[in-house]
Amino acid sequence: MSRSTFFRSLRWGLFIATAALAMGGCDEKLSDLTGPTPNLKPTLSSIQSEILSPRCAGCHTGNGRFLPGAMNLTEGHSYASLVGVASIEKPALQRVNPGDPENSYIVHKVEGRAGITGARMPFNGTPLTDGQILVIKRWIELGAPNN
Amino acid sequence: MIRHFPTALVFAAFTWGSVAGAQTTQTTQTAAPSPAPQATATPAPVSDEDPDDSVLNRSQPDFTLINLPTGLRLPQWKSAFRVTHRFTRPLGEGDFGNLAADFFGLDSGAVIGLEFRMGIVPGGQVGFYRTNDRTIQLSGQYDLKQQSDSFPLGLAAYFSIDGTNNFKDSYSPAVGLIVTREFKEHGALYFEPIWVNNTNQLPSELVDDNSTLLIGLGGRIRIRPTVYVVGEIVPRVDGFDPGSTAASFALEKRVGGHAFQLVFSNTFGLTMAQIARGGVENLDGSDNWYLGFNISRKFF
Repeated sequence: MSRSTFFRSLRWGLFIATAALAMGGCDEKLSDLTGPTPNLKPTLSSIQSEILSPRCAGCHTGNGRFLPGAMNLTEGHSYASLVGVASIEKPALQRVNPGDPENSYIVHKVEGRAGITGARMPFNGTPLTDGQILVIKRWIELGAPNN
Repeated sequence: MIRHFPTALVFAAFTWGSVAGAQTTQTTQTAAPSPAPQATATPAPVSDEDPDDSVLNRSQPDFTLINLPTGLRLPQWKSAFRVTHRFTRPLGEGDFGNLAADFFGLDSGAVIGLEFRMGIVPGGQVGFYRTNDRTIQLSGQYDLKQQSDSFPLGLAAYFSIDGTNNFKDSYSPAVGLIVTREFKEHGALYFEPIWVNNTNQLPSELVDDNSTLLIGLGGRIRIRPTVYVVGEIVPRVDGFDPGSTAASFALEKRVGGHAFQLVFSNTFGLTMAQIARGGVENLDGSDNWYLGFNISRKFF
């Protein structure tokens, strides 16, 4: 291989590698998926402000011994009410089983799965979108941290 | 099958003049006693100094294996066209009578792709590939080093980016290396490490992996003067790896500038990102296999 051929090859190799790296940041936007809550992220604080507070905390107030009031989903109390806590309706399942969204009762309730007790949540409201549910599931999958 | 007839008809009409030209050329070449460039099939190149890319290379006669690229160079300002077809009926569904009744899948719908590529510099080519799920792939390839007496492998850099919804939505770039080992006129083996970004179509915040490192492994063996057996398998070694490992094999017949492949494949993946997403897997983990074909045509 002559010197000029080598440098020509090198130039094209670098060009292709650079082009690939330049486009290496391609990704779908989370906000495109989460519909009515474009700022929703898979963190508890984001889920609290975008979903739990506006959609759940009106009924799940922490007041009373029976559902819905017995479960406190107001800001600052959701983690203790959800993570690692057995559900009242299905005691065999935790409300949020860290790392296991499929066995977290909150997911069953917001998806309206067969086998839940009572109604799909949010009660008498527009169901959460698939994207919103995916974010909740991802938070649980990541270990449901108190972040 | 009838629903695919228009595709075949358009392709036949599109290439008819060129076919006739190619056949004439080949006849002339065969009759000519002098070793005209296209008349003599050469073994693996022995020099990488300005090779004549229009000379038929019998060890790697086409620009793709089945889905994966090969290291074949495309002459500057020359072009090639390819039709890919994967029928969607699983070959393993029902008994043989059912399969025969469906004419081995030809009655079903199909995933279809049309590809056009052109050499733009010596050793460098670009391609445009559109599949009927409205994915468009743009690709580029540049020959870095050719196999020679002093270097036993051919090397080419590969780059592609595909975009869904007619290149308007989700983009998946890929970069890789095509390593080729030719065996005189008997065939060639390929080793193709390729990194594909954004293979997972969910946002990265919701997934563990958003890219895939795959290793394309394949080969083409010449079993008759113009007949080849072609195979490829694409294990994913890192990153997002849903589905089963994509694999395909084919019987290929070359006629002049045409090549026809009868394809058996466990994937509908045609673009690099689609290939990275693996093969079709049943709930019990087993594969589905599908019939298909590729037709390619060189315009030189």
